[in-house]
Amino acid sequence: MTAVKTTETAAPAGDIPPALPPAVTGGARKRRRRGGAFDRALPYLLLAPALIAILWLIGWPVVSVFVTSFRQLNLGELVRGEIVWTGFDNYVTVLQDERFWDVSVRTLVFTVSVVVASVGMGLGIALLMRVLTPWVRVALQIAMLCAWAMPILASTTVYQWMFDQNYGILNKTLVQLGFDSFAGYSWFSSGTSTLSVVGLLIVWQAIPFLAFSLYAGLVGIPRDLYEAAGIDGATGWQTFRAVTWPEIRSLLMMVTFLSTLWDFKVFAQIWVFREGGPSGESTTLPVLQYLEGIAKSHFGVAAAISVLMMVILGLITFQYLRKLLQTEEGKI
Amino acid sequence: MKGWRGLAAGAAALAVAVSGCGTSTNSGSTTETKEITVWLMDGSAPTTLTDALNKEFESANGIKVKYEVQKWTGIQEKLTTALASSTPPDVIELGNTQIAGFADQGTLADLTADASQFNSGEWLGGLKDSLTLNGKQFGVPFYAANRTVIYRTDLFQAAGITTPPTSRAEWIDAINKLKAANASNPDFQALYLPGQSWYFLLSLIWDEGGDIAKQDNGKWTSTLDSAQSKAGFEAYKALYDASAAKKAPADTDEAKPQQYEVFQTGNVGMMIGLPWELGSAVKDKPELKDKTAAFPIPSKKAGTTAPVFLGGSNLAIPTASKNAAAAKKWLALLSSKKYQDMLAEGGAVPGTSKDTSKLETNAVGKALAASAPNGKVTPSSPKWGAVEAGQNPLKDALTAYLSGAKPLDQATKDASDAITKALG
Repeated sequence: MTAVKTTETAAPAGDIPPALPPAVTGGARKRRRRGGAFDRALPYLLLAPALIAILWLIGWPVVSVFVTSFRQLNLGELVRGEIVWTGFDNYVTVLQDERFWDVSVRTLVFTVSVVVASVGMGLGIALLMRVLTPWVRVALQIAMLCAWAMPILASTTVYQWMFDQNYGILNKTLVQLGFDSFAGYSWFSSGTSTLSVVGLLIVWQAIPFLAFSLYAGLVGIPRDLYEAAGIDGATGWQTFRAVTWPEIRSLLMMVTFLSTLWDFKVFAQIWVFREGGPSGESTTLPVLQYLEGIAKSHFGVAAAISVLMMVILGLITFQYLRKLLQTEEGKI
Repeated sequence: MKGWRGLAAGAAALAVAVSGCGTSTNSGSTTETKEITVWLMDGSAPTTLTDALNKEFESANGIKVKYEVQKWTGIQEKLTTALASSTPPDVIELGNTQIAGFADQGTLADLTADASQFNSGEWLGGLKDSLTLNGKQFGVPFYAANRTVIYRTDLFQAAGITTPPTSRAEWIDAINKLKAANASNPDFQALYLPGQSWYFLLSLIWDEGGDIAKQDNGKWTSTLDSAQSKAGFEAYKALYDASAAKKAPADTDEAKPQQYEVFQTGNVGMMIGLPWELGSAVKDKPELKDKTAAFPIPSKKAGTTAPVFLGGSNLAIPTASKNAAAAKKWLALLSSKKYQDMLAEGGAVPGTSKDTSKLETNAVGKALAASAPNGKVTPSSPKWGAVEAGQNPLKDALTAYLSGAKPLDQATKDASDAITKALG
């Protein structure tokens, strides 16, 4: 940076205090102006370490996945530290595999069902909490907190026991109720059935967060709006449409967006239940990626699947992202 | 990929640092002492053996042994990370179905020239096959174990079965007798056989003359849809259907739940298991000790034993090891008769000694020793590991066939296609 540039860029800053005595010596001016440049750069300099750390931690893995997807990276290349560029070969391999398309469609259907069910039920419980007497509400909140605090694998194991073919409480209860055909019934005999059980588990795990978030939004709506609606003789549904909905719509969109991201990349629960079986029928994209990357040590192909997953996620959340950016711009 | 490798190295360093906390109590000084790092798996060698071996090695060579025991769960990932680092362990234990995959990627040292140091004349055939790739040896056989039929002697007696069955027909006969004698117990299972016990399926397939795959000009093609292999599936179904009134689930394997836990409930007459599984059951229920014995899996031909899947481990030296010479000395010492006898005493079939007299001191040991020479392994293709680590087509085929979701022809064809594709 030259001195001239410094002077030029620093000039507006110098103009701000109009009462500046004009008769300062050149040297003093220069020093002060340099100080000004430093002052202006200071916040960025202070931010820089954190920013670089964040970029390195978040940005680098993303770049790394992207770069890896264009490489042939199997165990041998990894161990030897070789770099073999293969262009779009990994993508061609993935996209030509019929299985990828089946799995993508299955993942989308699964994600949409789970998101709709969990957001719907979360909203229902949030609305319910508003009308409950305080101690019932507290009991419900404690129950949900417990469900939420339970480690994923622990609750997955409990669900496995509940749905166990021979000893599961569900089959035993159904038999007791007179449904004898459920004696020894296997809930994991088909992919659809397996994914339904996994979906139920995920909805159960997701509801507490959704209900609490939406409840927080609902509590923020002024009571007088409801009173006014009541005086005008609005029905419950009309009140919901006219008062509640506009207030929580943006919050609802945000939690739906978050749920979509989370449910799309669910891996642990699906893998623990039947490792994507039977016959690969409950395999979703994250499971497919694990099979390629970890089981077969084809890290390049797995990276290509990751990139494609990001593209699919980008497509399904495109509308939301667009709105998000628009409103941000509008506010600015 | 520097980031990847850096991360991997970091993770490995952390692992070493963490595990070092537990084991470094006996190594006071960190100066110039040369040491080798040895990773053995959980439950593979008795501590009496490793303690004696490491002590002898240390005093003979003045090289310390950093001995670490690893868990089987997640070992594939851990080995990948460790092998990609610049300071891998010097000796690693690899499952015999894993080794070809690692060798093929050039991560293991070629030990062909040194094989005679490791007593190569007495290597167990099945294990030798598993560590040989393109005619070169990438490891040393460690130990093997195979499945035998573990049974309750008291229940056999009560049902009037005097001698263990020696043919498949006699075996089914024994199952029926056990069921009849325990008809009052609704939870009784004459044979605990979960639907995905695929190592046992291999026994039946081999017994019928079939195989998983065959190699032509270096290319593997699955032969699971051959008539002989299908006969193996049918034999499995016959046993599964006969096993109990309340059968084990068709869609789980012998580890979910651990079959020894089911066996020790007392409602089970037989299970097809490894010696350690009986050991675990006896540890939990000591009264089972005097009521259990084992016989080799019977063949359909009377008087012979069925071929068995030879489970076991090999030892290998990573290419990147900086102490390969010392590691070889350690392996040579382990391969010597003294330590092989200790392995046999511990209840395993030793990998580098044909003498199994120390093993044949009890019924399980005798059954093991009788069937081990007839042991076989899965295709020694570098890609086989992926078949097991991922979604195993053999398990899927079994579940689909046993639960009636697919007819036999369809189930075996699908499995055959999947394996051909995975190995191709």
